[in-house]
Amino acid sequence: MSHVVDRHGAWLVSLLMVVGCMILPAIGFAADSTAAGPTEYRDIPYIGSRNLIWIVAQLHLLLAGFVLGVPIFAWLCEIIAWKGGEQRYDKLAKEFTKLLTSAYATTALFGGILLFLLIVFYPKLMNYLTDIFFPSFLLYCLLFLFETATLYLYWYGWDAMQEGGKKTLHIFLGFLLNFFAIFIMIVPNAWATFQSSPVVISEGTAIERAWAATWNPTWWPINIHRLIANVVLGGYICGAYAGVRYLAAKTAADREHYDWMGYVGNFIGVFGLLALPFAGYWLMREIYQYNQQMGITLMGGFLSWLFIIQAMLIGVLFLGSNYYFWLGITYRIPGSENQYRKPILWMLISLLLCLAVWMTPHSLVASIEEAQKMGGAHHPLLGVLGVMSAKMTVSNLMILITFMSFVMYWRAGKQDTAPWARLAKAVMGAILALASIAVIILGVWGYFVPAIVRINYFSTSQVAIVIFVILTITPLTALLLKSAKTTTDMVWGRMPPRAGYALVLNAVMVILLMALMGYARSSSRVHWHIYGVMRDTSPYAYSPALGSASLIMVFCTFFFCLLVAFIFWVATMGDKAKGVQGTVKQDLPHGIPAMAGGGPERGEG
Amino acid sequence: MSELAQLQLVALGIVIFGILILLFIRSNFFRVTGFVSIVLGLFSLMSLAVPQMASLPPADETIDIASIKTPADIAALGQTIFFSKGQCALCHSIGPSESARCPDLKGIGAKLTKEFLYESLTDPQAFIYQDYRHGGVPKEYPATMPRIDKDPIGLSKNEILAVIAFLQQMSGEPISVSVSELEMPEQGPSDPVKAAQAVSVARVQGQEKRGNLWNVR
Repeated sequence: MSHVVDRHGAWLVSLLMVVGCMILPAIGFAADSTAAGPTEYRDIPYIGSRNLIWIVAQLHLLLAGFVLGVPIFAWLCEIIAWKGGEQRYDKLAKEFTKLLTSAYATTALFGGILLFLLIVFYPKLMNYLTDIFFPSFLLYCLLFLFETATLYLYWYGWDAMQEGGKKTLHIFLGFLLNFFAIFIMIVPNAWATFQSSPVVISEGTAIERAWAATWNPTWWPINIHRLIANVVLGGYICGAYAGVRYLAAKTAADREHYDWMGYVGNFIGVFGLLALPFAGYWLMREIYQYNQQMGITLMGGFLSWLFIIQAMLIGVLFLGSNYYFWLGITYRIPGSENQYRKPILWMLISLLLCLAVWMTPHSLVASIEEAQKMGGAHHPLLGVLGVMSAKMTVSNLMILITFMSFVMYWRAGKQDTAPWARLAKAVMGAILALASIAVIILGVWGYFVPAIVRINYFSTSQVAIVIFVILTITPLTALLLKSAKTTTDMVWGRMPPRAGYALVLNAVMVILLMALMGYARSSSRVHWHIYGVMRDTSPYAYSPALGSASLIMVFCTFFFCLLVAFIFWVATMGDKAKGVQGTVKQDLPHGIPAMAGGGPERGEG
Repeated sequence: MSELAQLQLVALGIVIFGILILLFIRSNFFRVTGFVSIVLGLFSLMSLAVPQMASLPPADETIDIASIKTPADIAALGQTIFFSKGQCALCHSIGPSESARCPDLKGIGAKLTKEFLYESLTDPQAFIYQDYRHGGVPKEYPATMPRIDKDPIGLSKNEILAVIAFLQQMSGEPISVSVSELEMPEQGPSDPVKAAQAVSVARVQGQEKRGNLWNVR
């Protein structure tokens, strides 16, 4: 034992020495200041202050999204268990809440590092922001105290508050946890959005000034967008965790549990994903309304290619989520694969066509030679598909298709018995067909009306139509299935390994999207710390090209995945020890390889 | 080897790293890591395959008044500003265009006086332009014209006069902006920007049109 400790000690010392050697050059920090004034910027050799801030800020944001998304996810699961009586949801909620203590600590660690780095590298900016926002800095600290206290009560009181009124109290604690968490998100959102869309700060008290700056045009669009995105992130990370555990599952019980967990994670991810494009559209609309220049920089300027990449990532996410539903129909509900093969094929073709339109570029920055080759600023053939009218139409159609995938999955293996079932199905079919036609008509009509009419009326009508479809077909299907006869029971633990990889892919796509859009939002400020108010005069007052930026995004995504894996590993370490003591390793049926979906015969649980 | 090729090599290395893991390692955790590496590497390769454009900060203007001899010189500078720092062409077209977000500026220099143009650029809401060329009710444009002399565009008086000279010239009008109207700005040249070296792989938007006399953007 002591030998092991010695060896680890030596390893640690070596590591510290290497880190020390790397840090040595940093003693020569560069400091930029005016001749007589205070230091405005400091720099760090090799990596550069901006890159270091970028990486730490991105990791902090991703972790923050995770720790804000997980409590929402856990609380929803706890409520489902509380109301529906299915205890496995309660177990799932507890399993994820367990992560929160270590996840919060890691998030706070990166938040602290970020704060120190900002003070060190960008003192001028931090002085300015502190001067405006210091009342909300204090509020932020207070919120952390409340959040931490609530989390301790929520987590440590889980087992003690399981019955009767105590359970209600526990649910209320879960509500408080999310309530404080949302405020912890929206307070710093004000600081970040003020940098992008500052407002005139008039004279007044410190609180009045802070409030004026907080209530800036993009604050609420970002709040809503991030709130939904956090739910999506929490859901898909849960799914990815389940996917990894499923791939490594050695017993049928584990496979069933992690298959089910993957389903729940994917469902909650998709649930948020359906609403996310609407929130994103609102945000872009507010950006355009605030400053058209910024909107054009994003959509038609040097960031225009970024939105093509974004469309591709979102497309992969939609395809991945649908693919997982389709795998579920095929493998969990035996006998359904033939029934749904054709609709699945049509859905796949429709999704790919929609994705192709969404990815069509329009207002790209082209050189004179490129423009001459195309015969104008826009491609004569593809330009017509690259406009917002077409993109809004296909994004709405993709949401409709994904929703129908879910409904199909929901209905699979069940036979309607209600006398009005035929009528209800006809109504649902008509609603879906009419809605799709209406969305397409509005999209085509959008070409012939002024942009302001399209933005204010047509696009919002398309969104309203899709929401109407979701809000009518969901309760109708639920009513229909209430009296339906189950012909084939859902069989968990049968999914092939590629289902686990699909879940991991979805999570990676969401994380990459967050990293990509973080770069977009920051770059849209171009050479300003605070747009139009405080100019970035540092040597890093430029936005790098997408290619080199993508490598930093890749690093952040990879490192974040490792951090999350570490958090899961730490949190479940105790369970594994208990499991080894309490259970005997079970052989798999028929001696199949210990890989999930390795081919157990149909009919076995 | 160019910087872009080096970055592509790094991205390709990430993909190959993932493939090797999937081929030779049995541990599920590492196999998932390999899969994630492939996805991330492909994302980078795709991001490196699209046109690489960086956004450089504008350098502070340096004007060599002595080298501006004629109104045509001023108009030439105005053309540079129109398509770069002024960002006029992002919304306005010169000639009919269905996709333009703002009124067509073809012939505007002949239609409006120098003073009116100056006011339209610095106080755009003083008079609202109603476009009746399409018949019926006036055409509404989605964009509101920003004040060009304020941030974030922040053109100086000299730059605005140069843009007006360009608008007059391309409308076939005699240029009414004279060299004597130009003022020498107070700012000195900007500090060197590291960005220029750091993003050598990037093609900078509008840089090709940069003038020698006015270091516009």
